[in-house]
Parts: sequence; structure tokens; C-alpha cells
Amino acid sequence: METHFDIQLGKLRTRLFKMCSLVDEQVQFALRAFEEEDVSLAEMVIERDKKVDKYDVKIEKICQKLFALNQPVAMDLRLIMSAMTINTNLERIGDIAVNIAEGFVRIKKKPAYLEKTKINEMAALVKEMLRNAIDSFIQNDPKLAEKVIRTDDELDAFNVENHKILIEIMKEDKDNIDSAIAFLVTSREMERIGDHATNIAEDVFFIVEAELIKHKYEKFLFTQAEEVEKEIDAEENENGGDD
Amino acid sequence: MDTKISVKNLDAFYGKNKVLKNISIDIPRNKVVAIIGPSGCGKSTFLRCLNRMHEVVGGTITGSILVDGEDLTKTDPVLIRKRLGMVFQKPNPFPTMSIFNNVAAGLRFNGVRNKKVLAPIVEKSLKQAALWDEVKDNLEDSGVNISGGQQQRLCIARTLAVDPEVILMDEPASALDPISTSKIEELIFELKKNYTIVIVTHNMQQAARVSDFTAFFYMGELIEYDKTTKIFTNPANKKTEEYVTGRFG
Repeated sequence: METHFDIQLGKLRTRLFKMCSLVDEQVQFALRAFEEEDVSLAEMVIERDKKVDKYDVKIEKICQKLFALNQPVAMDLRLIMSAMTINTNLERIGDIAVNIAEGFVRIKKKPAYLEKTKINEMAALVKEMLRNAIDSFIQNDPKLAEKVIRTDDELDAFNVENHKILIEIMKEDKDNIDSAIAFLVTSREMERIGDHATNIAEDVFFIVEAELIKHKYEKFLFTQAEEVEKEIDAEENENGGDD
Repeated sequence: MDTKISVKNLDAFYGKNKVLKNISIDIPRNKVVAIIGPSGCGKSTFLRCLNRMHEVVGGTITGSILVDGEDLTKTDPVLIRKRLGMVFQKPNPFPTMSIFNNVAAGLRFNGVRNKKVLAPIVEKSLKQAALWDEVKDNLEDSGVNISGGQQQRLCIARTLAVDPEVILMDEPASALDPISTSKIEELIFELKKNYTIVIVTHNMQQAARVSDFTAFFYMGELIEYDKTTKIFTNPANKKTEEYVTGRFG
């Protein structure tokens, strides 16, 4: 029999899933706005942040109520605790999507030198990371969560590379400074999205495996990375690749 | 782990009906162990086996219960009950006795009659039970003329007066209001410095708050026994998880 508590938990899950897809869309749109030089799409992202904030407050209220009235334990406790931190991470990602959109609204056009940077590759990777983090939460999939955590170093490396390239571009031509600074910020913002996606993945691990890997995942990954890699590859092959 | 009570392969019966099945559990010294489980799971029977009260209600047991290595099944039950004191669900002070005499009852039963000897023990026991300040001026009043929460602490003082090693508590706060319950729980924290405590409770939050270890019983079997934090954050057994999260039982 489904109890009142189960119904409330279901409600929390549904709201959080909606928040997930909304924030995912915000990031997709913000990045597409500068990929396709679409200022109106960027403006829509800025406008829609209010909706993200509303979901944030709603989810926090549900969690507060569930804690106060039900004293959850075991799997319920882990889910509600994680729901609160996942919600906070999603709300921050939403804010970053707005920052990226605002950055593009200021410069309005993609400069030609952008091809020399890793901005596009980084955008593709960060979208994949966020999508995987969200999917790992929705599907309770710790293996996919691990994949997200492992990808974060790659994203950080792109950011470092962008930094170097954009500084060179600024040195070459002073007229590039304004736009290059905007892309430096965008690169840094994408790196932050990666950090928040990693936090979500760590929470998924906590929900499913009841293990807190926060701040110690490097150790965790170094000991298991190869084994996990093989397992994931084998599964992907079984499922017919990445499609 | 410094084990105070070691139970091995314990079966308990009422007639032919087996109510506890092959229970093996080590209870550590100066710790609080909570026994949880749905009604009829055998948790109170288990508690009664520990001080041989199970025999008093017509039951029998097989297996062994060692307290500091000594087999309880081969020891005089009266001596055992002195070493393993019990506090029951409903406060049960002796109605015809004063507060003082209630606390002194066990000692008197054991032959101590001199009031000069009894008085400091009564005072110490009432202080340990966090009741002294509330009753010190009315020690000659009847033991039933105080509140339910005070009566329960009086019963705890009565148990402590005979200087037991272990305190067995069978739902000690279930008949009390939240303030009295909180006093009993605080008392348990204090008492575990000197005593080993086994508490049966239906109140899961209470088990989580007061105990160091939790044992989950179901249909006469010990399903899971682990640190309380583990049981309430990440139990190993699915049944335990379902029970602590309120999904059955």
C-alpha cells in the first residue's frame, strides 16, 4: 500500500525531475545561443531563470516538510538529503546558464578566432556531462555517475587550454580583448557547470551505494578506474554504442 | 569489542511453540543496545530470557547466555535478576510503600535493614535516576503519588539500588509524555557510563537517539545487528530497510 509519505516522496521526485530537465534545457539553449548566434534565444534563457528559481523554492519546501514531519531514515533519508543538494546544484547551474547567455547578449556575434579555441569542444562535453549526471540520478545509475566524475578532469583541461589560447589572442590584437574576456568567463562558467554536475553524480552515488565519495573521488577512481572503464565499454558495446 | 553478554544459538519456547530461533548476539559492555521489530517478533521474550524471567511465565530455552563468561542458564535466577535489573513498560512502584521504601525494597529483600546503610544508597540511586531533586523533601510520600514519568524514574532508582551490572528496559518510555520520555532518554545516556543497557522499543526514533547498536528481530529471528547509525542510514538487509522506513510491520 502506498503511504502518504510515499506519495510525498513521489512528488519530490517528480518536481526534481522537472527541475532537471528545465536546467538541462537552459544550458543547452544558452550554449546554442552563441553557437548559432541567436540573441533572442539567449534572452529567453535569461527570462526563464525565474522558473528555475521557483522550482528551487518548491523543492526545498517539500524537503523541509518531509524532514520535519516524517523523520526519514535509511534510503529515504539519503534521497531527501541528496534531493536538497542536487536541487542547490541545479539552481546554480541555472544561474550559470544565465551568465553565459548574458555574456553572449553583450558581444552578439561569434568572433572568427573562436575556431582556434576549445570552446566548442568544451560546450559539447559539458552538455554531455550534465545530461549524464541527470540521467544517472533519474535512472539510479552509479556507473553513469562515475563516468561523469571521471570526465571532469577533461573539462578542466579544456578550460586551462582556453585560458592560454585566449590570452594569446588578446596579445595579438587589442580589439579582441572585450570578446575574449567574455569567452574566458564562458569557459570558466562551463568548467563550473562540470563541477556542479560532478556534485550531482556524487549524490547519486550516495543515494544508491550509501557511500559518501565527496572530495575523495580521485582516490576512489584511481583504485577502480580501469575496472569501471572496461565494464562501461562492454555495456556500451552490448547496447550498440553511444546512440 | 568488550563483550558483556554473549548469547549463542538461543531458542525460546512457549510449550512447543518456538518464539526465538537460533539467536546469537554479543552485547558490548557499557553500551546501549536497542531491540526493534514488529509486535510478536520476540523482542520482549529475548529481554526476558536475559534475566530468566521467561521461565517465570512458563517458557523454556535452549542455547547459552553468558554474562562475563558465566552461563546464566546454570545460575540461581534470583542472583541473576540482581545482576540484570529490569524496568518495565508501565511504571510499577509498590503502591503501599513510600518513595524511600520503594527504592530500598530490593536491598531489604536481600537482608539490608539498617536505615543508616539504606539512606545513602537510596539517595545515590535517586540521584542516578535524576529524581532526587524532585522528591528529596517527600521521601515518605507514597510511591504512587508522583507523576508517571517520576514513577518510572523511581522504578529505575529501585533497579539501580541493588547495584546491577546490566539494565534491561522493556519499552520504558512508551507510557510517558514527551518531556518525561526525554528525561528517561537523557538518563540512559548517563547510565551507560556505568551499566550495560538493553532496551526494547517500538519507537524507532528513540532507538536511533539512545542506542549505540540496534538489533532488528522479525518472526523470532535476528535479521540484522549492527551499529545504530548503520541500521538507520544504510541497513544491509532489505527487511530491515523496509521496517525502519515504515514500509511494513
